[in-house]
Amino acid sequence: MSTTDIGPKGSATQAGEAVVNFVDDRTAATTGIGWFLKRNIPGETSWFQTLGFAAMAVFGLQAVTGIVLAMYYKPDPTTAYGSIRHITDDVTWGWLVRGMHKWGASAMIILVFLHMARVFIFGSYKYPRELTWVTGALLLIMVMFMGLTGYLLVWDQKAYWATVVAMNITASAPIIGPYIADVLRGGTTFNSDSLSRFYAIHMLVIPGGIATFIGLHLFLVSKLGISEPPWSKRSTRARRAEEAAARAAARQRGPRGRHEVTVDPEPQTLTAEAGQ
Amino acid sequence: MNRADQEAYKRDYAQAKKEGKPFYPYAIYKDHVVAVLVFAGIIGMAIWQRVAVGPPVYSATSTFEPRPEWYFFFLFQLLKIFKNQNALVPVIMATFIIPNVLMVLLLATPFIDRRAERRISKRPFALSVGIVVFIFMAWLTYQGETGAAPISGGTTIPFTGITPGSAAAAGETVYLTEGCTSCHMVKGVGGQVGPNLTTIGTAGKSATYSGKLPVPVPGATGPTYSGANWFVLHTECPTCAKPGSAMPAFASLSATDLQNLATFLNGLGTTYK
Repeated sequence: MSTTDIGPKGSATQAGEAVVNFVDDRTAATTGIGWFLKRNIPGETSWFQTLGFAAMAVFGLQAVTGIVLAMYYKPDPTTAYGSIRHITDDVTWGWLVRGMHKWGASAMIILVFLHMARVFIFGSYKYPRELTWVTGALLLIMVMFMGLTGYLLVWDQKAYWATVVAMNITASAPIIGPYIADVLRGGTTFNSDSLSRFYAIHMLVIPGGIATFIGLHLFLVSKLGISEPPWSKRSTRARRAEEAAARAAARQRGPRGRHEVTVDPEPQTLTAEAGQ
Repeated sequence: MNRADQEAYKRDYAQAKKEGKPFYPYAIYKDHVVAVLVFAGIIGMAIWQRVAVGPPVYSATSTFEPRPEWYFFFLFQLLKIFKNQNALVPVIMATFIIPNVLMVLLLATPFIDRRAERRISKRPFALSVGIVVFIFMAWLTYQGETGAAPISGGTTIPFTGITPGSAAAAGETVYLTEGCTSCHMVKGVGGQVGPNLTTIGTAGKSATYSGKLPVPVPGATGPTYSGANWFVLHTECPTCAKPGSAMPAFASLSATDLQNLATFLNGLGTTYK
């Protein structure tokens, strides 16, 4: 393993190597992890390209705080409000966990939107990353639905009436609207089963979807590579070199020699043409 | 983007990677710095702005507000813009058409903008669209944030024409205590989520509904509901009287309350001003 010989390997090292070899032989895990970590990325990446990871990290935080909250929360119209009070007022650090879950939700929405803005401004959604964008857009929609379904669970006046109105809005959509609203509410009106239904959607259905799509999104990101900022020094240098080569070629080809160059108004015209 | 552009991009990106540096530790270190800062911010906010619990559902207070979390304010504001349902600007624009068109455009962005150019300075159209969408959403969110606060209990509306002790006076009490002011405005008092009701009595509302009313109210029988009876129907079952209505049903009111409320609403703008 190592290039320096420090004597015979101890039995612990040998056992460790044996375990790693056993797993690697069957899964190629070391190769996979090595590829993932050691693959090259463009030399100049922006700090704005960290927002996607931050959003994913907050999803992890939401999962952990959500699991803790689920240990105390009782999804029933008669007990939900009391259990929220209990978490907030009695449980040790319950207020902190609930506060982190609430602020984490806002942070996640902000990060997802900022991440989208970054991808848009960098033009990173263009070839070959179109499907990465589509999975990301679906993630954004799912994150919004997380907010919608989580809001009701507090079961106070604000949460209840806002959700009643949101469900009525869903039901007002043409053709399929009433059916979607009925499925979400578990009936034609808001009833005692609606709360547990929202709870299940909030903690099982959508998180499953988000986890799946984060997996797809990450797979595409690592397969296609992190995009390079379009104004990076390297790409500017490469573009200039290309333009110079194109000008040189035009000079070679031109029937009247150097005249071609003076007619050419802007070096950019060539790239603009190439870009069409 | 044609085949040649795609090949050119692939070649350029391969070169960028070749001249680049490994993902670990360079990208991972940056990612974790930002994630730690974000976590610190979340914990800081959780400590600084303690999370609160509002009054329970169906409590005695009538100051509920059907206001979503701030990240839905932009949709909520759209609803206010399109609340007065008519053929030209139906409320369905806000509840269905605009949100879904935006969602489809969002998903289709990479298939609409297929040019090879990535520098934002050379994409004036994309830049303008991005700025317009951002300003529009930020403005709507700000409007939602600073929008009318719910009316607290004890508010009165100065009316003329209401005799104390009459059915209309009782109806006004129901109107004020059941939280109608949270969404509806009458004579400048109340929210702006639902339609302004100052002159609703003059609107000549009428609907046909052959189903059974959740709370039978003497006098209010179908299938045609007009005048005060329409208000009974609409309060008990908003969508029965006005398809597509987003108003919550108030079927928990008593028959007397419903009748008094309907008398009050039906006279707004005519008898009670």
